[in-house]
Amino acid sequence: MIIRMAKVDIVGPKDDLMATLELLRGKGVFQPDPELLNLSRDDVPRALSSLILDENELRERSYFADLQERIRSLLDLFPKMTGEVSALQPLPVIDLLDELSERHLSEVSSLVERLREEGEQIDGLQQDLQFWSLLEPLYAKLPEHSNLELFGVTIRRPEDLPALERELLQRSHGRCQLSTATIEDGSLVGLIATDRSTADVLRGALDDVRVPERRLPEEFIGLPLPDRVASLRRRLSEKQQEHKSVEERLERLSTEWRPVYVRAEAWLTERLALYGATAAAYATRHCFVIDGWMAAAQVPVIEQQLAEVFRGRVMLQQLEILEEDIARVPVALRNPTYFAPFEIFSRLLPLPKYSSFDPTPFIGLFFPVLFGMILGDVGYGLVIAFLAAYLAKRMSHRPVICNLGKVLGIAAVYTMLFGLLYGELFGNLGEIWLDMHPLWIDRAKALLPMTVFVLSVGTMHVLFGLLLGAWSALRHQQRREGVFRLVMVLLVVLVILFGIGHFFPQPWLATGPLLVMIAILLPVLVAAGGLLAPLELLKTFGNIISYVRIMAIGLSSVLLAVVANRLGGLTGNLLTGILVAGVLHGFNLLLGLFAPTVHGLRLHYVEFFSKFLDLGGRRFEPWGRKPP
Amino acid sequence: MEKVYIAFAAALAVGLPAIATAWAQSRIGAAGSGTLAEKPELTGTIIILVAIPETMVILGFVVASMILLM
Repeated sequence: MIIRMAKVDIVGPKDDLMATLELLRGKGVFQPDPELLNLSRDDVPRALSSLILDENELRERSYFADLQERIRSLLDLFPKMTGEVSALQPLPVIDLLDELSERHLSEVSSLVERLREEGEQIDGLQQDLQFWSLLEPLYAKLPEHSNLELFGVTIRRPEDLPALERELLQRSHGRCQLSTATIEDGSLVGLIATDRSTADVLRGALDDVRVPERRLPEEFIGLPLPDRVASLRRRLSEKQQEHKSVEERLERLSTEWRPVYVRAEAWLTERLALYGATAAAYATRHCFVIDGWMAAAQVPVIEQQLAEVFRGRVMLQQLEILEEDIARVPVALRNPTYFAPFEIFSRLLPLPKYSSFDPTPFIGLFFPVLFGMILGDVGYGLVIAFLAAYLAKRMSHRPVICNLGKVLGIAAVYTMLFGLLYGELFGNLGEIWLDMHPLWIDRAKALLPMTVFVLSVGTMHVLFGLLLGAWSALRHQQRREGVFRLVMVLLVVLVILFGIGHFFPQPWLATGPLLVMIAILLPVLVAAGGLLAPLELLKTFGNIISYVRIMAIGLSSVLLAVVANRLGGLTGNLLTGILVAGVLHGFNLLLGLFAPTVHGLRLHYVEFFSKFLDLGGRRFEPWGRKPP
Repeated sequence: MEKVYIAFAAALAVGLPAIATAWAQSRIGAAGSGTLAEKPELTGTIIILVAIPETMVILGFVVASMILLM
């Protein structure tokens, strides 16, 4: 249902503006609409103009904005943790917060910078350690030599190894040794051992073949390899200790101050939003005026609140919604428990206009019936009911799926009901095993009666839509549109009666007078709906015939179920038969979930809603603050 | 032989619109997928647009049923 809205005018002394805005935002029920107050109108006082903040207010806003930015930077730097929010009232201590936030920002920034630098150093040390630890066993294999120089290389592509080895041996005239090992990422690390006089030549060779030398921090360079590894381990441990102590300091600060700053940031956001909200207000020298919308049911509540808080200084007045305002009225939908889950389907459409209808109750009423009419099988209905119960109970944390479960649950009831009428339980399995017979019609055989039935359903549905359209048009003084739709209804009924009288002559149904009435009404239709009105009439018949899909898709479903049973029976083995029939029934059920949903919705969206629904409404978006 | 003609006529009556529907839906579906990538809020409109050509095959089915039953 579309909630009834009220156009309201809130007036009060300028000094109470911020407090009024705070109250309205806190309640979260008011949507300001500055365009409602047309300053060019004669009945609007000339002294009224858009509200402009004075110098003090502007200074205060700028101060709050700066503080908010600093606090946000600080919160970004604090470690992410879900903690409590302080109950502090920031306004009395705002100067202290300003001073503290500056100090904390500087301290936290330097701690975070230190953490980053130390993190990088730890990463580098860990890589070095991994590298040199791998080379340690290689070092053990090298011959003892007092004049030996060692350096490491990383060989990204193992296929480059022979070329590198050749180059090194050539440049050093065979006075070097390269030993390699594979590291985690698949590349090779190599230890080059040579005498000190050749080392520089080999470094030049490495540059030429673009194989990087793995350089150690200066302090480790002169050390023998086993000492290098031990020193690296020691240094890594020291750095990790330092890193931990900085982290602990940051966490202590965060635990102590984060809740305070979170609260302060929320308060500042709220306060700045109030300044932003003043743009929606108008003012004279002493008073302010805000126009907007709220649910009609909320008007007395807010009126009472304003009276209690401001003791009559701020007044709320409900204004009449004029014809010219209708297009501006924001739309909010609220449906009873039964219809609410069907909003998942109405949300696929744009919002209806305030003067139109909420499509949800119509979908809620007719969609399950059409679904049941199409699928119509007790067995499938039972399976869908279990699936729906599972979705509704177990998926309560995912509202869309939970609502889909509820919708399927209602659709399953109608599926079972129509299953009884059609005498179907997993196709003809009910007839074979339980001697189940249709209570009304065997749709697999009675094609013509079924077609007539679904066309009758379509006729009633489309005519109901046309009548709703006529009522809606007449209610909003669109007489021509209303007459057009009413004449359309009459013509549809007359043409159908004429068709019945012509093809199935009845003594009580004379076709002559019907033809005369059609001939009289056609010009009226053209006069009310324009030259394209006859085309619209033809389209309406197309819409009605479209309901044959209920029979067509239902027929394919029941035939597939019968085929599943027959194929299962043909296997001659109980287990194989159950398996074959089960797979085919599963496939049919999958189609049976999808096709009736899509076609049921299509019949609503295209055939039914096009007759009366006026889409393109504005969403009701009240001012509101999130709970802290 | 007459039965063969009737069955053939019914098959044509439903088959040709089915091909036409499939062709129309393939074009609308492709365009609709592109639209949805940019504007997911148009899901409802796209479903409607994709479903519109189905009327052809439904009408074909009605004609085929009439050929077979009448």
